[in-house]
Amino acid sequence: MTSLAALAAIVDEAASSATAVPQLTETITDLSVDDAYAVQALSIARRRARGERRAGYKMGLTSRAKMQQVGVSEIIWGRLTDAMRLTEGGELSRARYVHPRVEPEIAYIIGRPLAGEVSAAEALAAVEAIAPALEIIDSRYRDFKFTLPDVIADNSSSSGFFVGSWARPSADVSNLGILMEVDGRPVQIGSSAAILGNPIRSLLAAARLVARAGERLEPGDIVLAGGATAAHPLTPGQHIRTTFQALGIVAFTVIT
Amino acid sequence: MNAVTTSPDAIRAAADRLHTAASSGVACDPVRDLLAAGDADAAYAVQAINTERALAAGRRLVGRKIGLTSVAVQKQLGVGQPDYGMLFADMARCDAEDIVLADVLQAKVEAEIAFVLGADLDHDQLTVVDLLRAIDFALPAIEIVGSRVRNWDIRLTDTIADNASSGLYVLGSRPVAIDDFDPRLCGMVMEQAGEPVSVGAGAACMGSPLNAALWLARVMARVGKPLREGDTILSGALGPMVTVRPGDVFDVRIEGLGAVRAAFARE
Repeated sequence: MTSLAALAAIVDEAASSATAVPQLTETITDLSVDDAYAVQALSIARRRARGERRAGYKMGLTSRAKMQQVGVSEIIWGRLTDAMRLTEGGELSRARYVHPRVEPEIAYIIGRPLAGEVSAAEALAAVEAIAPALEIIDSRYRDFKFTLPDVIADNSSSSGFFVGSWARPSADVSNLGILMEVDGRPVQIGSSAAILGNPIRSLLAAARLVARAGERLEPGDIVLAGGATAAHPLTPGQHIRTTFQALGIVAFTVIT
Repeated sequence: MNAVTTSPDAIRAAADRLHTAASSGVACDPVRDLLAAGDADAAYAVQAINTERALAAGRRLVGRKIGLTSVAVQKQLGVGQPDYGMLFADMARCDAEDIVLADVLQAKVEAEIAFVLGADLDHDQLTVVDLLRAIDFALPAIEIVGSRVRNWDIRLTDTIADNASSGLYVLGSRPVAIDDFDPRLCGMVMEQAGEPVSVGAGAACMGSPLNAALWLARVMARVGKPLREGDTILSGALGPMVTVRPGDVFDVRIEGLGAVRAAFARE
């Protein structure tokens, strides 16, 4: 019997060395969702032990299309650390990832603690700012293929994020056009409405789901609400520029 | 371009086939067997015959629709250009009124921006400035596309000949000035029973719906049928099209432009 700590070591080392590994469920065929979240927490604890600090949460599978892709009907979540934060307008090193992809998101910056079953009004009262964001997702599994417990154990594929300029929390972000371009050519066009019909629903889910794990959204946390379009694969030399209606631009360049 | 031309008899036969399908409500075979491969001019000649037939029957021409405005759809059909079809007054439906599904063959819906002109666009060298000055207002729109061709088995010439696969359309009811919203970056969501079934943005339509409208205005001026004051332009889809079943209700919101609903009657 492989311990959960041993599984956490596998995904943590795969992430830190940018090496693809086989799916955990190939050997642990009965890995449960609860166990998978425990593996995720243990892998983040290893990062914390190396000095990384808490930065917030990411929500995943927040569109019906993505849930159908994985064959589930629930939202998943992962944890962000300060080491995952990248500089807007800066560079992303391709070599630090296995097979990175980028997707546009809406970020909520938390100003007051929030957890459990809350209303949209309560959630918005806890939000200090809203920002356009890009998330780098990078499954540590071969061929980006995984089951639900696999992806949860692997921190829900989260591996980096860019955050753009802050906007007031009163900004209506329910249906903002999003245009992602590579070297000036559109590759993804969508709307923030793809995130559960309204990204605020993802923040409510975050408050509910982290509370179930005995945690809460803390002041200073960033909550990435989920991808608004399909994810786009990254290769060195690309300049990624994503324009969010009314919120501005988030951009970066991919280097080797 | 293919040098082979299509005979007038074949053009007439294609027009008859599509007209019979439309009036009988029974979808027909594609018409590409009658037209030279890729002969868009012949396909527009087919469309023109049925337009003349409609006008002779007293139908009122109220504008144009633009089709094939997304890069994905253009690639699918192997073309690098949009196409256009005619809008008649009897194709318009009101916001949220019950639509009889039998009024259109093989219906699908897509969200669009409609522009209504306050001036003629009859110059032969039009710019985006002429277009912006001519637009009286914009409205959110749902186009209910249809195909007289069985199972939507269409290539470029089939859809052009078939009036660009037009069917019906629904317009919102609150006109918005062209400088009061962002036609390029506006988000679009179409919901059915609370689920987003199609999402997109203005840029999905040829980079901007204004690009599509300007393309149309230039083509219409060139072929001697310029767009006129009062014309409605359905500028092209902002997101993927969705198949319609009886009783479906589709709510479209376009950021800054408002909302419009297409409600289909239960059969």
